[in-house]
Amino acid sequence: MNTMNSTNTMHTTNTTSNGVMPCRDFFDSRHFANPFSTRFTRPGKIEPRDCSGQPLAILQLLKQLHDCGGTAAIQGPHGSGKTTLLVHIAGELQQRGGLAASLRLRSWQDAPAVFFAIVRSRPGSTVCLDSWEKIGCIAGWLVRMAARIFQCGLLVTSHRRTGLPVLVESATTRELLASIVCQLPDHSRWSSSLIKESDIEEAFSKCGGNVRESLYELYDRFEHRRPLL
Amino acid sequence: MKLPRFFGKKRGHRRTGSQAWGSFGEGLFYCGLLVIGLIFAGLLLSGLAVPEWRSGHNFIQTRCTVVGKGLSRHTVINAQGTSVQQWQPCLRVRYQALQLTRDSWSKPLRGGMLSDRPAALKQLAAWRLGEELTCWYDPADSQNVVLERGYNWWMWSMALVLPSVLIIFGGSGLMRAVRVWGKSEERRAASAGLPELFESTDYSPAEAPGYPGVPTCDDLINSPGTILRYRLPVESPESWTLLGFGLFAILWNAVVAVLAVGAGLDLLGGHIDWLLFALLVPFVAVGIASISIFLRSLVLASAVGTSQLEISDHPLRPGQRYDVLLGQGGSGTFRTLKLYLEAEEQATFRQGTDTRTERLIVWSRQIMEWKDMQLTPGIRFETRVSIDIPVDAMHSLTSEHNAVSWRIVVQGTPERWPSFTRIFPVVIFPSADNRLLPLEKRSTPNQELTP
Amino acid sequence: MSSAREVIRDSPNVIVRFNEPHRIYQPRAALILRYSIEGIDNEKVRAVERSVLWYTEGKGEEDLGVHFFERLSDRSKPTPALTAGSFSTQLPFSPLSYEGVIVKVRWCVRVRIFFEGSRDFVSEHVFEMGQIPPANTGGGRLP
Repeated sequence: MNTMNSTNTMHTTNTTSNGVMPCRDFFDSRHFANPFSTRFTRPGKIEPRDCSGQPLAILQLLKQLHDCGGTAAIQGPHGSGKTTLLVHIAGELQQRGGLAASLRLRSWQDAPAVFFAIVRSRPGSTVCLDSWEKIGCIAGWLVRMAARIFQCGLLVTSHRRTGLPVLVESATTRELLASIVCQLPDHSRWSSSLIKESDIEEAFSKCGGNVRESLYELYDRFEHRRPLL
Repeated sequence: MKLPRFFGKKRGHRRTGSQAWGSFGEGLFYCGLLVIGLIFAGLLLSGLAVPEWRSGHNFIQTRCTVVGKGLSRHTVINAQGTSVQQWQPCLRVRYQALQLTRDSWSKPLRGGMLSDRPAALKQLAAWRLGEELTCWYDPADSQNVVLERGYNWWMWSMALVLPSVLIIFGGSGLMRAVRVWGKSEERRAASAGLPELFESTDYSPAEAPGYPGVPTCDDLINSPGTILRYRLPVESPESWTLLGFGLFAILWNAVVAVLAVGAGLDLLGGHIDWLLFALLVPFVAVGIASISIFLRSLVLASAVGTSQLEISDHPLRPGQRYDVLLGQGGSGTFRTLKLYLEAEEQATFRQGTDTRTERLIVWSRQIMEWKDMQLTPGIRFETRVSIDIPVDAMHSLTSEHNAVSWRIVVQGTPERWPSFTRIFPVVIFPSADNRLLPLEKRSTPNQELTP
Repeated sequence: MSSAREVIRDSPNVIVRFNEPHRIYQPRAALILRYSIEGIDNEKVRAVERSVLWYTEGKGEEDLGVHFFERLSDRSKPTPALTAGSFSTQLPFSPLSYEGVIVKVRWCVRVRIFFEGSRDFVSEHVFEMGQIPPANTGGGRLP
């Protein structure tokens, strides 16, 4: 999980960068970073959680993926943490030597890149694809055929039904948003003064349950109240 | 021993396997595309385009006599996968070439191949034996003769466009792969500033020389003013919007006219195509709406008039004063005309699978306001004012996903027309005076935002 | 990727000293830095990269601009020299450090250590260039 352990003194805390964010020091409150900034909340920087806010057992999910034959989908609405989970699973696969490639799809025109990744993959490895719905029906079917031929697994995210076995059905809940907020840098310092639980509730309601939009909303609130820090 | 993996970073910030081998694999992929494109281009050019060009430029014209007729038979595989025969008319002609009499079959006549043999024979019947025709023969091979010359532009396009796409895609990807071969994030970002043989294919906003992160202002100072030094361009000129509306209205109504004529002819012929009539209704509605929008915009543009802004110098610097000349055209009464200086932040981020740009005005100061102005048609309202750039203003900033932009805004409220806002971008460079202000003397966070 | 709560063994510590005690610099000033890396096994360090860069923070995707970059590998220097050293650079005219609302610009020094194998470690130290006051939100827009 990628969190920032930082203080507002001259001391610097260092961490490994195997996917973990470098830490920074802050030398006065004016430079206190907004914890809802994109660099702290984008996929890969937050530990994936389920809808109740509990950490997802990545190893258990890997086992389930293996039981599915290596091909599955992470389904759920926008801003429910699909990409975050995909990035973490891809990281675990990489460490185990089971990751062939990870791609973010924008349209069916990305299909050649996917085919190439499948063709050059080692049998039994997995290709991780974000935004599967972008690739289209025909290209998607061809990719699945290619994966089957080359004995390569597919792990995709989609906000629509894919026809693939579902590894995780993500959902957006207040508990999920609250648990994400708790992971952000220096949470103890600003949680009681700047962003309270009521703010999290209001942001979640205002943004129609979209966790990502809620984080942007909380970013704005934090900035507006920054002089209180 | 770990075997090398021929893959690497493809998109976003995810990395897999070895960076160096990944770049190598990516390079191989693009190299393959480039080679396929070059081979494809070579085959098309040598097999199709070059012979056509040679016949048009190098062949020698002469007269020939038709001494025979025939059909050239070709076997092709159709869409169903079965082989079918197709027929193409050919003529045998007699002509004089290089002091020799030649009898040759000409290249197949244009008109294409026909799958129906009787139709092909019927086409062939158009020529008579003994008929005299003009022909062109190849001086390098006098047996090679053609009865038609000219360029098949469709074929030329196919010969150039399709392979070009592969060559461009493969070539640019290969250059990019070579450039980012096995480098860390900082190293890649650092080497982007070093002299490079190839241009980066990633988007990089143009920066002012010597000022990293500050946008260049060349586009803003290429128009001299009539009184002051520069005339500032307006952002998103309304003339382009008007042109867009006009073009759309013309094109759309042209389609509507074609459909209407077709429906009218059917009606006159006693046949009513209900589907066509049903399609015509929404098309006509949109056509009428597009014309009314265009006319309204045209009237608005002529009634309100254009705004022009000239400035005494550019780029701007914090702590300096500049003269600005505002010119406003139009007619009638303007309830208010305001001039603002504003700073806007722009942040681009991913929203799911889409990209969104959020904008926020973080600083705004009204420079001048005029009330109850009476404008005379044909006479522009002109006035000169001074703008002071705050001493601690943040300079203009440009990067791939973030920006701080400054602009001078003209906001008008005509009495009988909707209000308008015209934006004139400016660029503020960092202060030439690098003196640090003592912390206690620095201005408080700007409170100058006014509606 | 490792979990946030995972105990990191043998985590190095990078001590950095700026020539300006308050870490506030003006454009074109000289940035002189001394650093030392503690808590590592010297034989395992393969290379060290030192960089001075700026990055954006806020609502938008992060952008990066590298002003100074230097890579030291064990081929050019003896290993103990990799774990301590100094470097200096003249800062550019821009971009200045900026505390905007949705866009912020920060300057920092990064020391990235490459170990034998594929692991690397990065330490980041923020400083300020210029003295632009923070922007405000303009009121009326946010709750």
